[in-house]
Formats: sequence, structure tokens, C-alpha cells
Amino acid sequence: MNKNIVVIGGGVAGMAAAGKLREFGYEVTLIEKEKELGGNVKNWYKVFPDFTDAAEIINKLKGELKGIRVINNATVTQINGVAPNFEVITSTGEKIDAASILVATGFKPFNAALKEEYGYGIYNNSITSIELDAMLKQHQVQTASGKPPQKIAMIHCVGSRDQQVNNNYCSRVCCTNTVKVAIEIKEQIPDCEIYCLYMDIRVFGRGYEELYRTSQEKFGVQFIRGRLSEAGEKTDGSLLLRLEDTLTAKPMRLTVDMLVLMVGMVGNTELAEIADLKVGCDRFYTTAHEQYSNNNSEKKGIFLAGTATGPKAIMESITDGRSAAAEIAAFLHSFTLENMSCDLSFRQPFASMIAGGNQFCNTPPQPSPY
Amino acid sequence: MGKLFDELKKDILYQHGMNACLNCGVCTAVCPAAEFNDYSPREVMNTVQSECDEDIKELLKSDKIWYCGQCFSCKTRCPRGNSAASVILALRRLSIRHGYFAESEKGRQQLFAKRVFGQNMLDRGYTLLAKNISPAHFPELGENWEYYYEHMEEMRQWWDVPMDLENSPGSHRQIPEQDLDEIRAIYQKTGAIALMEAVEKAMEKKLGSKAEVEKYWQTWLETGDSRNYELKGENKS
Ligand SMILES: Cc1cc2nc3c(=O)[nH]c(=O)nc-3n(C[C@H](O)[C@H](O)[C@H](O)COP(=O)(O)OP(=O)(O)OC[C@H]3O[C@@H](n4cnc5c(N)ncnc54)[C@H](O)[C@@H]3O)c2cc1C
Ligand code: SF4
Ligand code: SF4
Ligand code: SF4
Repeated sequence: MNKNIVVIGGGVAGMAAAGKLREFGYEVTLIEKEKELGGNVKNWYKVFPDFTDAAEIINKLKGELKGIRVINNATVTQINGVAPNFEVITSTGEKIDAASILVATGFKPFNAALKEEYGYGIYNNSITSIELDAMLKQHQVQTASGKPPQKIAMIHCVGSRDQQVNNNYCSRVCCTNTVKVAIEIKEQIPDCEIYCLYMDIRVFGRGYEELYRTSQEKFGVQFIRGRLSEAGEKTDGSLLLRLEDTLTAKPMRLTVDMLVLMVGMVGNTELAEIADLKVGCDRFYTTAHEQYSNNNSEKKGIFLAGTATGPKAIMESITDGRSAAAEIAAFLHSFTLENMSCDLSFRQPFASMIAGGNQFCNTPPQPSPY
Repeated sequence: MGKLFDELKKDILYQHGMNACLNCGVCTAVCPAAEFNDYSPREVMNTVQSECDEDIKELLKSDKIWYCGQCFSCKTRCPRGNSAASVILALRRLSIRHGYFAESEKGRQQLFAKRVFGQNMLDRGYTLLAKNISPAHFPELGENWEYYYEHMEEMRQWWDVPMDLENSPGSHRQIPEQDLDEIRAIYQKTGAIALMEAVEKAMEKKLGSKAEVEKYWQTWLETGDSRNYELKGENKS
């Protein structure tokens, strides 16, 4: 049995897991498809709920990767063998032995062009939340004609909770993201009117509701309960929106300079066949049990973390990555016990494993993080 | 939940049209009928979803369910895959079966629908014939239509789509009797005939007698607007 763990996907979940595994004393190979680590978060500006700079989060996690081999611009094309003796073949032709594998390949943003009635890719002033974040980062929120917008509508649930695009789930982060960017726009363009068109406001985490409240109290962001039915372009490039204000039961028209589509998450299951992983009807990876085995796949020795198993915020993805690291450590520890012909029905607490040293480690045991 | 809702639930159009409504208003925002009338498909869906017989009955007696133009725009947009258009159809059938349609002005227009489209189907296998569209009722169709209306027969000869010729092309063809019998059998079997009969019966009950129903019908034929017929006494609604 080899002593290496392969982590696939260098987003915040994969990085957090890799760092923690390293801290536990394992050898880790992190395989990332793109040329930079960070996943989707590297494209964000400041993140909710506390406006931490996204770069700060990535740098922090990167800092924990010392001693880890990172292979960029590569993916996995084949996995042979069974745990704890996997052989992982990369797109660069390398063969890597692995005792265990973590799949943390994250999500893909919903392709807003699929909601044709919102005019993305057709009307110049219909943009996605991702493009807006880039504009905010450069302090250059402007319409296609280069003017600061006076009126913006933010559309919740684009590509989420929508049977028309076969995504029935809620993406969980876009409501709070709407609140966050609305505040940022107000800070950069104080006289800009902002209308958030929502079906339900789902700001579920610590500090999220407070952020929502602040956006209303302090920044006067408007919330209208109604889903956008369609957008049309006027000759001056502004957009005419048709919706119903369902709280007053009035069909309404709203003209805005800019339409921001709060795109949801779509599962990225491109490794399903290669890693022999099951995919749920929501097209995220299925875990061994939704309640108590949420980092295990049904395949022994292959673990899952982050948004690969469903929408999560950054903090949750990081926590989930570290939780997967603990699962992997416990899993590999069971082989240690097996080799020592111990009674497997009794599982030693994790801390004692650290204290006793791990026989798969080729580096000295690290101090316990706990 | 009550009897009306139970009956509604049995309608296949209801089963196909209603999953669960989240009251998002997309259907109402896109609905051309909601734009001009006191009507909202979302409200209809919400009422039906309440499963409350009292509210459903009120809906069945109201003008609302008759405003829908059956364009199905709502169906294509609904994030829950509902079809308000289909639910409306199921409600209309329910309203007719129970005679509630006769309680509303728009509902009572079912008599014309039955006597024009319904009868045309049974007699000619076609919903609307050119001769039904009299210029007096449809002045907006203008002079050209008026000319056509008066010279229909010879004009259709010119165009080679003559009137009432068996199996000829065009909307004024005569369908062979044997084929029409099949259409009638389908209408019988699917319950369309029963609905048509229910329309006549409920109208008679509402207006007091067969003679009054004919008066109502004549008023419409002559003026093109059923509102010119005045409901009597306690029937006023
Ligand atoms: C518009 C938007 C705004 C958001 N804003 C916030 C916010 O303000 N605050 C917050 O808490 N959360 C926010 N989120 C959520 C946040 O982006 C996610 O929680 C986070 O990106 C999840 O990290 P991850 O590692 O699970 O996945 P990802 O970020 O998707 O990372 C996955 C990584 O795996 C790599 N990968 C994929 N497939 C392969 C493969 N086959 N081989 C190798 N590598 C592969 C990818 O290149 C990527 O680097 C937002 C999400 C969206 C959509
Ligand atoms: S988080 Fe909000 S915007 Fe995103 S899918 Fe859920 S309800 Fe819609
Ligand atoms: S089918 Fe009826 S309810 Fe639906 S959009 Fe058309 S008119 Fe409105
Ligand atoms: S679009 Fe669908 S979910 Fe939304 S209000 Fe209409 S029927 Fe309900």
C-alpha cells in the first residue's frame, strides 16, 4: 500500500482538504484542471457575509499547501485498482499511486443563455452575477454604453428552482450573493436604484439575515416578490421587464438600465464514469448517506467534498473539505489496524492515531490540530 | 378538501397541469388576458391549490376562468412545470358540469360557444365557418370582409375552393356524412356532447325557460353583445 492521497480539484474544498491531510502527515497530490488554484472563488471580489477579499481566502488556503505536489492544467483520465491501492492516470500521462482519492471538482455556473427570455447573450445589458462581480472588482459597474446604471434589477433563482431547465434545487448562495452585490453597487454608485426580484429570500447562514436587513435599512435596496417573466430591449438599450408583484397581486413593468442574472450552480460530474461515482437526480454526486456519510461515495476509498455534492457557500465548502480529510484519515487508519490485525469493530479515536504516528506517513507526525 | 376539488382532481388536464404552485407570478406576468382583465392565472392556481371547495365554487361561478385565451404561454414559463392553461380547461369543464358557468356574464357566453363552435363541429366537422362571421358583428374586419361575405360563393369558385363541395380543399368543404358520424361518436364518447347538453340545461335554469334562452340567443345574434339581454329579477348577477 502506498502513502499518497490524490485530491482532484483545487477549489476551496480541495485545497482545504489537501492542506489538512498534509497537516495530518499524509503525502498529497493535488490535481487541478486550470492553471491556477482557487476554483470559482478566484473569480469573486469580496464575499458574503463579511466582505472578506476572496483572494485572502485563497492565499490562506494556498499557504497550507506546503509540501504538497500540485499538478496544474491536468485532469484524471483513468482510475485503476481498489483502495488502498489505486492507480490514478492523469491527462498528462502520469501514473500516480494513491491509497485514497478525494473528488472535489466543484460546480459550474449555470449557463444563463438557456433562459432565453432573460435575454442573456441577446441584449447587451443583460449580464450575469459573475460578470457583475468582475465589474465591482474593477470599480467599473457600467452599462454597455459605458454609463453608470441608474436602475438595476437583480434576478434571483436563474437556473435554480426551475423545472424548465431541469434544475429543481435551490443553489443556496445566490440570495445572499444578491444582497452582497446590491450593497457593493450602492457603495460604488450611491444613487443607483436596485430592485431584487425574488421568489423566496433564502439567507440562511450566520450573519446572512443581518446582511439582508442592512441592505434594506442602510442602503434602501428594494425587494419585489415576483419572478421575471421576460425582458425586452428598448431602443435606448434599457430593458423592459415583465413580472407580477405577487404581494400586491399586480402585473408590473419595470424599466432598468441593467439586468443582473443571479446564476445558480450546476453539478460538475465529469468524473462520474472515470471514478465510478453515482450521480443524483440533481446532477451532483451522490454520497453514501446524506446524513451521516456525506463525504463518502459508495465506492470504497473514494471521497467527496465541497460543491461537488451540492450547493454550498465558501465556509461550508472549506469545512466540508476538512471533514473529508478526517474521513480519509480514519479510513486509512482502518487499514493500519487491519495490518496490525486489530479488532476493526473498535475504532480508535482520531487523536490517538496522530499521537501514535501513522505508518503511511513518510514525514514525521504533525502536532494535532485539535 | 371537498367534493368539487375531488372531482377536479380526477380530470387528467388538472393532473397534468398542476404539480405545485409557488406563487411566483411568472404566468400572470406573461399572460395576455391578465394584461387587460381582472384575471390572474397565479390567483387561479393558488385558489385551486388551497383545495377549498368554497373558494373553488366562487371561482367556477365567476367571470375569471373564461378570460383565458388558451395561448399556453404560462405553461412554457412556469418554473414548476405547471400549466395554468390546462387547469383552466379542467375548471371550465367542472363549471359547466355543475351549471356554475351560468352565474357569470362571461360564463353564459358558453351558449354561443356551444351553438356555434360545438354545433359546427357536429354538423360540419369544423369550428368556425366564414358565414358565421357577419360584418354586422365584426365591423372591425372592414370593407374587404364585407365584400367577401356578400360574394363568398362566387369568390370561392374563382379561388377553386368552392363552398360545400364534398372533400374539396378549404374550410368550407363538406365532410362525408360517414366521417362526420365518427366525429360525433368521438364527441359522444369523450363527454363533449354531455357538456353541450349541460350548457343548454343550466342556461334554461338560470334564465327561467327555454323561451328565455332563445331570447338571449336572439339578442346576441342581432346585436353581437349578450349584455343587451337583461337578466330578470332575482337572476340578476
Ligand atoms: C455567483 C456566485 C457567487 C458566490 N459568492 C459567494 C460568496 O460571496 N460567499 C460564499 O461563501 N460563497 C459564494 N459562492 C459559493 C462559492 O463559490 C463556492 O462555495 C465555492 O466555489 C465551492 O468551492 P469548491 O471547491 O467546492 O468548488 P469550485 O470552486 O467549483 O472548485 C472546483 C475546482 O475543481 C477543478 N476541477 C473541476 N473538474 C476537474 C477535473 N475533472 N480535474 C481536475 N480539476 C477539476 C476546477 O477547475 C476548480 O478549480 C458563490 C457562488 C456563485 C455561483
Ligand atoms: S439561494 Fe435564493 S436565489 Fe439562489 S436558488 Fe435559492 S432561493 Fe433562488
Ligand atoms: S393560456 Fe390562458 S392563463 Fe395561460 S397565459 Fe394564455 S391566456 Fe393566460
Ligand atoms: S408560473 Fe407556475 S409556479 Fe409560478 S405562479 Fe404560475 S403556476 Fe404558480
